Amino acid sequence: MMKILLIEDDQVIADLIVKGMKEAGYMIDHMTDGLFGLSAALSDRYDLAIVDLMLPELDGLSIIDLVRKRKLNLPIIILSAKRSVDERVSGLHHGGDDYLTKPFSFSELLARVEALLRRSSHIVEPTTLSFQDLTMDLLSRNVIRSGKKIDLQPREFSLLEYLLRNQGNIVSKTMIMERVWDYHFDPGTNVVEARLSKLREKVDKGFEFPLIHTVRGLGYVLKKQD
Amino acid sequence: MFLKNRISYPTSLAARLTLWYASSLLLLFGLLFFSLYVAMATSFDREMNEDLLDDVEELQDIYQEQGIASLLREVNQEILTEDPDHFFIRLSETNGNAILQSDLSGWSGLLAPYSLYQILLTHEDEFYLHRIKHESLEVQTITGLISDDLIIYLGECMEAKTEVLTLLLTVSLVVFTTLLPIGVLIGRWMSSKAVSGIKEVSRAADKIAQGSLDFRVDLNAHGDEVIELIQKFNDMADQIRKLISEMREMTDNIAHDLRSPLARIRAISETVLSSSEAQQDYKKAASDTLEECDRLLHMINMTLDVAEAEANVREPITEDVNLSELTEDACELYCPLAETKQIKLSTHLEDNCSVRGNKHTLQRMLTNLIDNAVKYTPEHGEILIELCRSENDAVVTIADTGIGIPDPEKQRIFDRFYRCDQSRTQEGCGLGLSYSRAVARAHGGDITLQAQPSVSASPLSHSSMSAAMNSVFVVSLPASVMRN
Repeated sequence: MMKILLIEDDQVIADLIVKGMKEAGYMIDHMTDGLFGLSAALSDRYDLAIVDLMLPELDGLSIIDLVRKRKLNLPIIILSAKRSVDERVSGLHHGGDDYLTKPFSFSELLARVEALLRRSSHIVEPTTLSFQDLTMDLLSRNVIRSGKKIDLQPREFSLLEYLLRNQGNIVSKTMIMERVWDYHFDPGTNVVEARLSKLREKVDKGFEFPLIHTVRGLGYVLKKQD
Repeated sequence: MFLKNRISYPTSLAARLTLWYASSLLLLFGLLFFSLYVAMATSFDREMNEDLLDDVEELQDIYQEQGIASLLREVNQEILTEDPDHFFIRLSETNGNAILQSDLSGWSGLLAPYSLYQILLTHEDEFYLHRIKHESLEVQTITGLISDDLIIYLGECMEAKTEVLTLLLTVSLVVFTTLLPIGVLIGRWMSSKAVSGIKEVSRAADKIAQGSLDFRVDLNAHGDEVIELIQKFNDMADQIRKLISEMREMTDNIAHDLRSPLARIRAISETVLSSSEAQQDYKKAASDTLEECDRLLHMINMTLDVAEAEANVREPITEDVNLSELTEDACELYCPLAETKQIKLSTHLEDNCSVRGNKHTLQRMLTNLIDNAVKYTPEHGEILIELCRSENDAVVTIADTGIGIPDPEKQRIFDRFYRCDQSRTQEGCGLGLSYSRAVARAHGGDITLQAQPSVSASPLSHSSMSAAMNSVFVVSLPASVMRN
């Protein structure tokens, strides 16, 4: 079982993360100050750390610096209320692997955690992705559902690929914008929604059950409705 | 030390000007007096020397032409006519024996005939002039040879010179003492005149600081430099008043726009708490709340982003950004949305148009403009997006057949939080255009709303734009040198 270290001094946010991660099947330890956090991070018992930047005793960036000085490959997600591009760049520059701005949605944090864990655990990249009766061949770029070929535009293909890679997890609008379009901001109007309804028409329309679901207020998920 | 502490250089500009003025006046007067004094003294000396030389030459002539008896008579004559207190004469042999002399009692410091003879011999001169003192008066003396063995020595008090120069000194002192206060007074008057403009500006600044934002300084009766200062000051005050009123309006707008989602969140929670027991309702309330929170967050982030973009007056040149690709991506992003509204979205994009700058902010700028076009164009409308190079600029034109912008509002649409009345019903926070313009300006370009849409003289290279375009935004950015 994967072990996650959370270094966060805000009790409400920490409770949300701890509860959510446990439900998602992870073991998680929570430290409330920078020094305890650092010693835990250096203990080599964790597969991933979630670090807040503003901490008592020792700030998040220093923790990351010290961890990286020890040449530890611990994947680190930075949580911060500072949202400027400069802050993000400086966080990643110090050795953070991902950066999430507060307030955030838990499902987004979870998806980022899983993506990082997948990346660091060196799982061999599959050439086909599949979910239920849907298969996607990444090499030939063919998408087949129940034996029927589905024609997708390049962007629709990337979108479906992203949903397939995160199957069962809710992915937020922001994450889709970032990963599928490389847009690191919210354009306001829900352009993702429009694109997804096009995709739904091709992937779900005329089939036995829908695969793409909207979770109001949170995002989208690829799952089979119970 | 003690003195230094007590007499310190004045800090007030007026006092300094006064000091400078008074001291330069006195210095000038001092110089004038000094020159006059020197000139007069020199002239007196020269006149006296000439007189004495004439005397000696006359005696020499008498001796040579008429002999010793006439010379003695002439000397005697001088002894009898001149005042012995102010004049002396002595005729002696070169070995020192006096032949004839005036009353020399009371004269001290006279040189002996023999030493005078020696001086004349060593100087190889006909005459020898030197100055001595007699009863605190200056006496000019002269000595000369009448013949090989006769030497004449005479001298005269320079009382006229002393009197005149003393008078000059006295008058000067009187003038000087009267000039000092006059100089200070004139200096004060002039300096207060010179700094009066500055004082007025400073008074105005006080008034403005106390809240009278409309207070301005009068321009009349000042020198050019002060008028320039006053003009600049008044311009600055105008700018401040404008900014403050804008800020006031903006704060009102922010409060209004933030209040609405908060009101909805409150209503949602209240409704579900007071009426419902069903878990389904709670879930719906929670997701509604999330949506409203995201809206609030988006607005807050946008406000900060606009401030950031505006503060970065010039974006640091980071990379070559392919504007063609960026525009194409942005159009592609909005394609499905346009399709659902059955809007015809056509593009004419020139290839390989690139600018130097920040990819993400440029991306966002384009997205905002296209977003607006899609948002404010009704169903079955038309949007045209073009990218072309015009001289040194890359020009993006976004035209739509949307609701358009009424003339009186055209000036204001780039203001933060400004929303046309017609657009109030649409979702949005009124920051997109201000953000976009800040980004364009940070890249050395600008965004303009074309004054008269649907005029054919538009920069659009393709004339496919129909006459019905209601709003046309033109973004021009300095293009970077193309690399193939």
